[in-house]
Amino acid sequence: MTALLVDSSTATGAPVRRRGGGLWAAVRGSRKAMVGLAIFLVFAVMALVPQLFTSVRDPNALQFEPGLGSSAEHLLGTTALGQDIFAQLVYGTRQSLVIALVAGFFATVLSVLVGVSAAYLGGVSDETLTMLTNVFLVLPTFPLIIILATYAGKGTLLVILIVLVVTGWSYGANQLRAQALSLRNRDFVESAKVRGERPSYVIFKEVLPTMTSLIVANFLGAALYSVLTAAGLQFLGLGDPNSISWGTMLYWAQSQQALQTGLPQWSLAPGLCVALLGVSFALLNYAFDEIGNPALRPVRSARKRRRLRARRTRAGGP
Amino acid sequence: MPYLLRRLGFFLLTLWAALTLNFFIPRFMPGSPLQALRDRTHNKLSPAALEQMLTSYGFKPNENVLVQYVDYLKNMVTGQWGISIGATLGEPVTRIVRQALPWTLGLVGVTTVLAFLLGSLIGTVAGWRRGGRLDSLLPPAFVVTSALPYFWVGLLLILVFSVWTGGALPSDFNYDSGMQPAFTPAFVFSVASHALLPAATILITSIGGWILTMRNNMITTLAEDYVRMGRAKGLSDRRIMTAYAARNAMLPNLAGFAMSLGFVIAGAILVEYVFNYPGLGYLLYNAVQNTDYPLMQALFMLFTVAVLVAVLVCDIAIAILDPRSRERDRSGR
Amino acid sequence: MKPRRIMIAAVGLSVSLLAAACSGSTTSTSTSADNGSGTNAREGSSTDKASHKQGGSLTIANTQGQTWTCQFNPFNPAVNPVSLGFVYEPLVYVNLLQDQKETPMLASSYQWSADKTSIVFTMRQNVKWNDGQPFTADDVAYTFDTMKRVPATDLYSLWTGAGLRSVTAAGDKVTMTFDQAAGPYFFNFANQVGIVPKHIFSTGPAAAHPDTWDDRAPVGTGPYKVDPCSANNIQYVANPNYWQPGKPYLAKIQYPAYLDNGPANLDLGSGKAQWGSQFIPNIKALYLNKSKDNHTWSPPVTNVAIVPNLDPSHAATSKLPVRQAISLALDRQKIALIGEGGQQPVANQTGIVVPTFQKYYDQAAVAAAGYDKPNPDKAKSLMAGLGYTEANPLKLSIITITGYTDWDASLAVVKQQLKPIGIDLTVSDLAQQTFDDRLYNGNFDLAYYGQAGGPTPYYELRQMLYSKNSAPIGKPASFNYERYLNKDVDALFDKYPTADDAGQVDIIKQVGAAMMRDVPVIPTTESVNWFQYNTADIGGWPTESDPYAQPAAFNVPDVEQVLLHVYSKSAQN
Repeated sequence: MTALLVDSSTATGAPVRRRGGGLWAAVRGSRKAMVGLAIFLVFAVMALVPQLFTSVRDPNALQFEPGLGSSAEHLLGTTALGQDIFAQLVYGTRQSLVIALVAGFFATVLSVLVGVSAAYLGGVSDETLTMLTNVFLVLPTFPLIIILATYAGKGTLLVILIVLVVTGWSYGANQLRAQALSLRNRDFVESAKVRGERPSYVIFKEVLPTMTSLIVANFLGAALYSVLTAAGLQFLGLGDPNSISWGTMLYWAQSQQALQTGLPQWSLAPGLCVALLGVSFALLNYAFDEIGNPALRPVRSARKRRRLRARRTRAGGP
Repeated sequence: MPYLLRRLGFFLLTLWAALTLNFFIPRFMPGSPLQALRDRTHNKLSPAALEQMLTSYGFKPNENVLVQYVDYLKNMVTGQWGISIGATLGEPVTRIVRQALPWTLGLVGVTTVLAFLLGSLIGTVAGWRRGGRLDSLLPPAFVVTSALPYFWVGLLLILVFSVWTGGALPSDFNYDSGMQPAFTPAFVFSVASHALLPAATILITSIGGWILTMRNNMITTLAEDYVRMGRAKGLSDRRIMTAYAARNAMLPNLAGFAMSLGFVIAGAILVEYVFNYPGLGYLLYNAVQNTDYPLMQALFMLFTVAVLVAVLVCDIAIAILDPRSRERDRSGR
Repeated sequence: MKPRRIMIAAVGLSVSLLAAACSGSTTSTSTSADNGSGTNAREGSSTDKASHKQGGSLTIANTQGQTWTCQFNPFNPAVNPVSLGFVYEPLVYVNLLQDQKETPMLASSYQWSADKTSIVFTMRQNVKWNDGQPFTADDVAYTFDTMKRVPATDLYSLWTGAGLRSVTAAGDKVTMTFDQAAGPYFFNFANQVGIVPKHIFSTGPAAAHPDTWDDRAPVGTGPYKVDPCSANNIQYVANPNYWQPGKPYLAKIQYPAYLDNGPANLDLGSGKAQWGSQFIPNIKALYLNKSKDNHTWSPPVTNVAIVPNLDPSHAATSKLPVRQAISLALDRQKIALIGEGGQQPVANQTGIVVPTFQKYYDQAAVAAAGYDKPNPDKAKSLMAGLGYTEANPLKLSIITITGYTDWDASLAVVKQQLKPIGIDLTVSDLAQQTFDDRLYNGNFDLAYYGQAGGPTPYYELRQMLYSKNSAPIGKPASFNYERYLNKDVDALFDKYPTADDAGQVDIIKQVGAAMMRDVPVIPTTESVNWFQYNTADIGGWPTESDPYAQPAAFNVPDVEQVLLHVYSKSAQN
């Protein structure tokens, strides 16, 4: 869970794109981003239409022989209770994606609200909001999450989402505030103010669009954080053991000692999926880092450069 | 000086916020020490006995909330952390914590610092040799490792190095049960072999982040004017790399280190859980499972203090290393 | 998974009969008492003369979940399992598995009064505390007086619920007097209270706070001493002053602290530990097949049951046909197989645990009532009679405790078995305290729960069914969570303490019949004492054919009986 998404570009006021334009082109150009996107799309399809991937309709039903190994019928075997592991994996995608996207979204919204407001309101409000952000940033959130989740009495999805949002917004808020501050004094913002536009117009139509890449990067970071933390929570047994999700699979596998009883895939497969989803977010995020700061873009070796140039001229130009 | 005072103020404020949270959360949620004690005694004590037990363990539920709050703050700060009411019923919390602390400090503390230093070193070299083989391989690889869940890496290591080897490397606990703690080679070896897999887990998952950020910072720094100046002056590569670039690239990393301690603690809890390592993280998990209020409160406070101390130390280090930070701060950051 | 979650055996079997006093006194039945001190004539008793050579050691694998605190105060319920039986002893040992067979320990004999409101124990002679001081009747009186003085140490509510009025020592006799006929409480005060030394517990912090005193160097009369204890391991060494010469046979007992079932099970499988007391998933592969010396035998002691809410405010579950349908639809074999790995026997609708309490079980009556095997067709028709079918099901929810994964697994099976008869069950996992809150206050449709039991079915059944253990919805009930109120059954329980043996069996059979008639709770599987044992070097284990004690290492004070029987084969040469 070392989602260290320090974006050095904001610290030094790096070049910023106007509007959100050119983002898609930039993503397409980055190999990392494409890989990340590809992984994400596979999971998205799995979440939307799980029926395409498996014939099992109720993955939690105890309908098979327990403890089977991998076979053509059960790609990953069955659990110690008689459920198809692959089917659980496929159906569990939905909850993990929902957590990632919903928690990530709301955490980002909160970050934007707090960060940008702090930058714009200035003065005492800024001081207070910054103090609040820093307090939340430094509070050891995982212990807090564990305590909150336990006290809530039941580990439903809603509880998990709430604790994730409440603890996940602070990292982004700091970054966004820093960038919003640096933008405050930019020409285009000044000109908008001189024109007499309302502050809300300035914020929504001028500043926010310019911060798009950072906001998206934050969203990806928050999504990554949510996926990993939720999986950790469910693994510890603080989720809903009867739900269908990767984290819950891990919990059951651990309690039935899957590793030691010859069913390691029961433990490793859901963990691998969590890892892959996390990796996809991390790759996308890293790519956005490079988009925001061209200096970070990969330096193609001389040989590759020549090959590319050759390919381009052959195809008649980019 | 004012910079340091500000940071100290921030430290105290955050500590107070954490303590207050810690005090009020239990009171707004279901469950209570009385219920916890009733569970401990299997619902067999008479109500009068339960009340007496509550008092014996230092709870005064009928007092005014504000009085309780002030008492609580006082006790937390003076180290009177009460008696455990969880599965370790009757044991003073300070004793429990004292037993577990060195294991967490040892395992998680040492490994995290190691990951930070090693990662920064590798990142420095990688950033320096841009375009080299190292640089094209590293970033994607480490992006991947930094996104892996702690517990999954732990489980994988257990499977490969412990289960498949028939127990060659121990996968749980901190030393062999039969041994008495003493500074004998056998004991030290036992501790080291038990710490190997958990340490490897933490290293693998956390080093990636440091390498990447350090590399990114190095690249950004290398584009700065003063580095070009150094090169123009004819300084050796190594001197530029270390004294000019790395030293400045390190600064945001230090700040990031402090900020990421929250993640470190999360990782500590999960790694200790997977490997049954009896450190503070494992204690917290147990305390929460057993609704051991005094232990939970003490641990939460300890974690917060640890992070805050680290932040303070890093801030001081930055203040010493980078005069700009003191200036910057005066202008409102 | 973390240990206590799967270990749902009835730890610390006892009953606090908090509720009403049992009234009435008729002719007594004084159980035959042993005369004299020292050995008795019963075959294979732990107080027989020593028959093996001393030596050797044994390692216990009983998962605790945390490291040892090295406290041994028998008044502390959290550390009682490592001190009672090892270091401290009770007055008389009562074996729940052999119809309350008694073995005198610190008391060599006893005598009830005619109406069973008082009992006189005669103390064994020549018993010493492990620090050399002599054991006297004063120590016994002091132990019980401490429980009166500091109610938090009265772990079985003897002074409040059982009606204990006084405990006095005179010479080598101790007299206890009660408010009421105290037969059913014998199991608690004679068998479960560890006697503590007055000369230690009357001074210093032990006297001031006997409930929180840490007792790190316990002084007891039992077969072992603690030497040394560290966070990771307790080592017990044989007590040279023990009152049975030549015993215990094993010189050392190692009790490592296991944080999780995984490593404990591994050590058991490899033979590194010989005495196991937890749930081992897939036990054949993980343990039994690893060596021909690995054996398992887990005797059942109480029930795990679906507890429906009988209060009229819960329309569905208060209807008898619904409860009957549920009980008839369940294929308990499958629940036991999948939920408990086949290691728990099936329960039956009478609530009488077999084979442990076989003599109270009326096989013919069970068959006549139709509860001897699952009958999903009848269940379907019962539900259809109320208008519910699989297409139009009755929606019910059942609450259970988060972390008890075997219960979750069992409930998954239950859910599947109730689907075809027209019940749509939702399983709701709650944190322990939330669950307790809802269970005690009657805020549930169905709950999944297991009570603690006692030496006869009376204890568990009375807890579950006695109306005074209940409470109105919204107020906490002590044990009767389903709110079953039946005067006739109450009367049966009231008669029990003063009935003779045959009378007691008859009473229990009648209660079993009420269980089948009214279906107040629906038992699914029987909770067991997990027990695995390795015979490569250690002999003398309790077995199915010789169940001289409850075998798990966490059963206290039974553990003392096991410790007095086991010996090392290699030390015999």
